[in-house]
Amino acid sequence: MKRVSARTANAAIWILLLTMPYWMGAIGGYTELATRVIVLGLAAMALNFLLGFTGVLSFGHAAYFGLGAYGAAMTIKYIVPSTPLAIVVGVAVGTLAAAIIGALIVKLRGVYFAMVTIAFGQVFYFITFRWNSVTGGDDGLTGWHRQPLDLGFAQFPIGTNDKAFYYFALVLFAVAVGMMAILLRSPFGRTLLAIRENERRARFLGIPVERHIWMSFVISCLFASLAGTLYSLLSNFTDPRALHWSLSGNFVIMAVLGGMRSFWGPLLGAAIFVVLQDYVSSHTENWMSVIGLSFVLVVLFFPRGVLGIIKRRIAA
Amino acid sequence: MTQVLLFNVFNGLIVGAFYALMALGLSLILNLSGVINFAHGGFLAIGAYLAYSLMPFIGFWGALLVAPFLTAAIGLAVERVLIRRLYGRDPLYSLLLTFGLAYILEDATRYIYGAQSVPYPIPGWLTTPLSAQFFFLTGYRLFMVALVGIAVTALFLILNRTRLGMRIRAGTLDLETVSVLGVNVRILRNLNFGLGIYLAGLAGVLAAGMLGLQPTIGTSLIMPSFVAIIIGGLGSLPGTLLGGLLIGVASGITTVFFPSATEAVMYIMMGIVLLVRPRGLLGEEGRTQ
Amino acid sequence: MSLLNVQNVSRHFGSLIAVDDVSMSVQSGELRAVIGPNGAGKTTFFNLISGLLPPTSGKILLDDLDITPLSPQQRVALGMARTFQITEVFPELSVRENLRIPVESAAGLRLRPWLSPRVDAEVSRRVAEFLEMGGLATKAERLAGELPHGDQRATEIMMALALRPRLLLLDEPTAGMGDQETYDITRLIRRLHRDHKLTIVLIEHDMRVIFHLADRITVLAEGSVLAEGTPPQIAADERVQAAYLGKAA
Repeated sequence: MKRVSARTANAAIWILLLTMPYWMGAIGGYTELATRVIVLGLAAMALNFLLGFTGVLSFGHAAYFGLGAYGAAMTIKYIVPSTPLAIVVGVAVGTLAAAIIGALIVKLRGVYFAMVTIAFGQVFYFITFRWNSVTGGDDGLTGWHRQPLDLGFAQFPIGTNDKAFYYFALVLFAVAVGMMAILLRSPFGRTLLAIRENERRARFLGIPVERHIWMSFVISCLFASLAGTLYSLLSNFTDPRALHWSLSGNFVIMAVLGGMRSFWGPLLGAAIFVVLQDYVSSHTENWMSVIGLSFVLVVLFFPRGVLGIIKRRIAA
Repeated sequence: MTQVLLFNVFNGLIVGAFYALMALGLSLILNLSGVINFAHGGFLAIGAYLAYSLMPFIGFWGALLVAPFLTAAIGLAVERVLIRRLYGRDPLYSLLLTFGLAYILEDATRYIYGAQSVPYPIPGWLTTPLSAQFFFLTGYRLFMVALVGIAVTALFLILNRTRLGMRIRAGTLDLETVSVLGVNVRILRNLNFGLGIYLAGLAGVLAAGMLGLQPTIGTSLIMPSFVAIIIGGLGSLPGTLLGGLLIGVASGITTVFFPSATEAVMYIMMGIVLLVRPRGLLGEEGRTQ
Repeated sequence: MSLLNVQNVSRHFGSLIAVDDVSMSVQSGELRAVIGPNGAGKTTFFNLISGLLPPTSGKILLDDLDITPLSPQQRVALGMARTFQITEVFPELSVRENLRIPVESAAGLRLRPWLSPRVDAEVSRRVAEFLEMGGLATKAERLAGELPHGDQRATEIMMALALRPRLLLLDEPTAGMGDQETYDITRLIRRLHRDHKLTIVLIEHDMRVIFHLADRITVLAEGSVLAEGTPPQIAADERVQAAYLGKAA
């Protein structure tokens, strides 16, 4: 099989992303679905920064995603109807929470770390659920919508035009993904790989492991909360399910399904998952079983994910 | 005031005993096999629903006796067929597997029994309170505490007095050595899993009587189990027991003073423990890896 | 002038005494071998020196600085590097990447999100240097986990060296190796010692290697020092012979 260069692959991916609203319809989708792919893909890639590249088992990422979602929604509803501000607030809230929680849990590892991340995830779920006077509780936060983007010199009707919002989200996606790529290729990124590969060895090379894990955690949650803000802006709605452990699990399965060890893997995994979920939930009430079954199948038969399998084929 | 406080503390103790029962099963599996059984809540639900289905045929007591064993049998099968394959691998995969199982189990129970909650009838004499003064001491609640007490005692007896128990304890500390000494580790893990699921099933049958049956019964109870383990100490069963009771009592007390914070208090406790003593109250050094 | 000064160090695990009142003084530029029968506490001893375990009692001084309370990372920063009995490299990274990480770490570049082309070139140059030194230049792009045992060991030693240490601790560098590989590693270590004037402490079982390399030998048995001296002195020491010399490889 011909060796595809990384540059070509990257170019192809960007071309696909830039044109997605146009070919999405042809395969039975719609623009909003395309935006969902981008947004959830960003969340999965953010998680994978921590999971696939630092080797840390974080199972509570929905918390920060959800904090971003609620932060943005509540800003528009209660403070000032401005999309950029909503995004900034959402990201700030999610990142701050990550910084604090990360500091508490950074000494733990493996399954115990995972347990604690799940538990903290539920803390925020529970808060949004209970504080229903402010957050709308189980019914979710409604009565607000994303605002058109007014940059002074240009206006963008992202409030009403689905395609415009898609490209807005894509720009933010590109910035986030670009930053992640730069970080992973840097000396800092290499220390994260080292920690993943052999933590003890990394320590004995002078790398302050706990501090770097904390930093990776915060960076990962920052981009996850960015994805969260876009998610609530996308549907002009958010509810506690954006914080639920099931969503955390979904992010992980997206990363694993697409391929944890590859940069674009989680995006592919998100695309498959989103499309699958959309299709299945419109055809049967038992979509939960189907999703659950796919978790089981992926774990048993495709642990390296789609891109992992492809890479192996190329190398062979 | 003291009446109310007493009521809530006692209630909290019952709830706590209950959380502890569930958390102990989870902890057993976690300690020996390193697997976070996210499907534990699903097994709890299975236990409850099995009891519900069996009751018309073998009565309340029959169901109470049989359902947990049946649930454990299902657990043994699940371990043998699915979970066993993932032991050598990154713990990520077993966690994802149990995640998926949790989804499937919840959906399956919803599919078979419907999404509405169904009442779980318990014998009349158990519901009568023991005295007007202590109206909250209904027979059922005492019965639950007693049963949990028996189950926990039995568990600790099994662990400390039987060969199986000794092997489980040794395996928790050093599985490799145990295997080298000739113990069949695969069977050990299998039985240990079954034991943990038995406790989940039992918890399910008891919960049904107190909370009524609905497909989400398991998932709503799994978080307190997690928190109980984290607070009580990783790797320590007495710690898990303590953690569960503490959560229960703390929520009970909080209900009196800050009713809206009842569920939050366990998370606050968790935060404090992580800050001050990350390995948990009775956790062992080095167990956080 | 002693570089490493271990003073009356002990380590207990409950009632098990793994290391019992051990003292050792290694001069700058010396190559010291630590030998002893299995279970003598040698690796535990290394773990104490490198900071993986705290001693139950006693002090460890590096160049007259008390490093006893310091973490492994802090000791690395002060110039101590070690290898492990079971080779510890980064298996899914290439050899080149394996070496890049300690080079960047030693140069204080750990947190950099970006390297200027000039700095990047300098890092690459140093990595190439170590690749050459370890005989790994032709295998630079291969995944470290896929290399034969001897090359993995060489990679690990080069990684330790890339930290520019003053003191190098090698835990059984020739363990599990055939004759040719043992010869290559021994030559490598000798070069490090002679050409780079490195202070080296190594744990070894292979007597040929030890007598070939060591300036002085410390013999541990059952957690305490049995004897210490030059290779001829140790070879002639009856207690050492009694302890295990007959059973050596």
